Amino acid sequence: MTLRWWRLAARNLLRHRRRTFLTGSIVVVGYVAATMTAGFVAQTFGGLKDITIRGQGGHLRVVSAEAVGKTDEEAAGLLLDDAEELTRSVATSPDVRQAMPRLSFFGLVAHGDRSVGYMGTGTVPALEKSATLAAEAVAEGTFLSDPEADEVMLGGGLARSLGVTVGGLVTVMTTTPDGGLNAVDAEVVAVLRWPIKELDDRVLFLPYAPAARLLKAEGKATSIAVTLKEGTDLERAAGALRARLHRTGTPAAVKTWIESAPFYVAVKRLYAAIFLFTGLVLATVVVLAAANTMTMSVFERTREIGTLLAIGMERGQVRRLFLAEGLLMGLAGSVAGAVASLLIRAAVNAARIELPPPPGATSGGALHVELIPLAFGVGFVLMTVTLLVASWWPARRAARLDPVEALSHV
Amino acid sequence: MTAPLLSATALTRTYAVGEERVVGVRDAALSLERGELAVLAGPSGSGKTTLLNLLGLLDRPDSGRLELLGEDVSTLDDRGRARLRREKLGFVFQSHQLVPVLSAEENVALALWIRGLPEAECRVRARAALAAVGLAGMEGRRPDAMSGGQRQRVAVARAIVGEPALVLADEPTASLDSETAARLLDLFDALHAEKGIAFLFSSHDPRIVERVPRRVRLVDGRIASDERTGGGAT
Repeated sequence: MTLRWWRLAARNLLRHRRRTFLTGSIVVVGYVAATMTAGFVAQTFGGLKDITIRGQGGHLRVVSAEAVGKTDEEAAGLLLDDAEELTRSVATSPDVRQAMPRLSFFGLVAHGDRSVGYMGTGTVPALEKSATLAAEAVAEGTFLSDPEADEVMLGGGLARSLGVTVGGLVTVMTTTPDGGLNAVDAEVVAVLRWPIKELDDRVLFLPYAPAARLLKAEGKATSIAVTLKEGTDLERAAGALRARLHRTGTPAAVKTWIESAPFYVAVKRLYAAIFLFTGLVLATVVVLAAANTMTMSVFERTREIGTLLAIGMERGQVRRLFLAEGLLMGLAGSVAGAVASLLIRAAVNAARIELPPPPGATSGGALHVELIPLAFGVGFVLMTVTLLVASWWPARRAARLDPVEALSHV
Repeated sequence: MTAPLLSATALTRTYAVGEERVVGVRDAALSLERGELAVLAGPSGSGKTTLLNLLGLLDRPDSGRLELLGEDVSTLDDRGRARLRREKLGFVFQSHQLVPVLSAEENVALALWIRGLPEAECRVRARAALAAVGLAGMEGRRPDAMSGGQRQRVAVARAIVGEPALVLADEPTASLDSETAARLLDLFDALHAEKGIAFLFSSHDPRIVERVPRRVRLVDGRIASDERTGGGAT
């Protein structure tokens, strides 16, 4: 189609400015809803991903080969030997920013006459502080500082259950890998506010040395938590690390954070389904509104279409003219929608609207809508294609009009 | 010997009205020479517009044969008929039927746009056609800024801009006052004389019927008479 036909299509759209504006507004609303939802979902995924990775101590975990396919509780007793050397080896991989040995253990922690079950982590304080959620989660007290000290950090829910505060003494008890009972006394140096409620009621951190003493696992680790450098491809890095371990004959496996986060995968699927459903509803509304507008336009211009057919216009040309009108409305609506979306996003982010804590979480956060260029592109294509689809039937109807009947249309 | 401009043989067109079939045109036979000026006359419902639509390739007959410039058009598909309409025929309707969002010049050029001609050529020829119908200087006006007579002249310019062999005009003066109608008829005469375009009108307006040298009268869908001024009736 040449420029003159596009010009005619544009002028036809402006015949009924109010109607075109209303239909265009629906396109704009659809576009804004799609891009804003994408931005919000992306922020939610981003936050959840960050919490999940940092909650696990890093992007990758090197665990005992026997731990593959087992739960964390089942795998707690499957330890990696010579953890120090293995950590040093992993840390020299080109994609790795940091590697740290961790011990995982479970048991009871007691204060006075109260005892509560816990999920414990024995860690290297300086490394833990730089790579995981724990440092940001300190609500009272100070983060573990001495790798040798008998100090402990407790989740807020766990501390409340025990009735202990910073400075109090607790006894951490567990079963060692050989089946014996062991305990250490430790001073509470920090109470954490862990973002996930269920973990906040259970989480406990000890420095590596007392944890190893508790488990009688000096020099060993349940896992090596690996933080990758910014921008590193997860699967590629995991593959490289697996190959490295295989070459050195180390009986260990590498698990990515996604493999250890079924919750994240399930939430992502749920959001994707909600997003798809919302998109379908939006697209349906836009299709119906635009199809109604185009059908009215065809009805009102029936005699004109008859004239065009009479003077020799091909049916295909008539069809293309109406499709061009739909396409232009889609393009114009998308451009206006993109501008509106940027403005609304800026306003929403500037307003710093506090969200309530999601189910299972201990704190909410400010509503922040991310700018997702892909969503803008997809929205553009989606709205334009939607308008083309909406115009198809009216355009087909216009093209199939009988010129004699159309010319006598009143 | 050149073929006549238009030759119709035994054209019949019926319509379904409820369960009955109503005859629009029955056994119409008509031949039109190049450059001829003729009118299909008759009272309302006599079949003038139906026959004009058949001859203008806007409608298909139930039976009969139609040739345009020697080409049998009875069997042409939609595209073939559309091609002949835009290349060989021009149309003027009772109401001007202009596109309201286009200027006078663009409305005239529209008949050339659909042929795919270059924009510059379309504009030059549209301006010339508007000048030929006495509308030079009004190229930029939209239909809603023109009088009824001016709009009908734009419609005539659109009909002739493609240099058709035949212009079919259905009741072209029906919506015009006497003075405007007279000027429009003068214009048809002038275009016929200057450009040699054949015109076939459908009208019961005596101002047209009396001025046109050939009058084909229809009664109840049949051609009742075919008279030529200065010649015998057929």
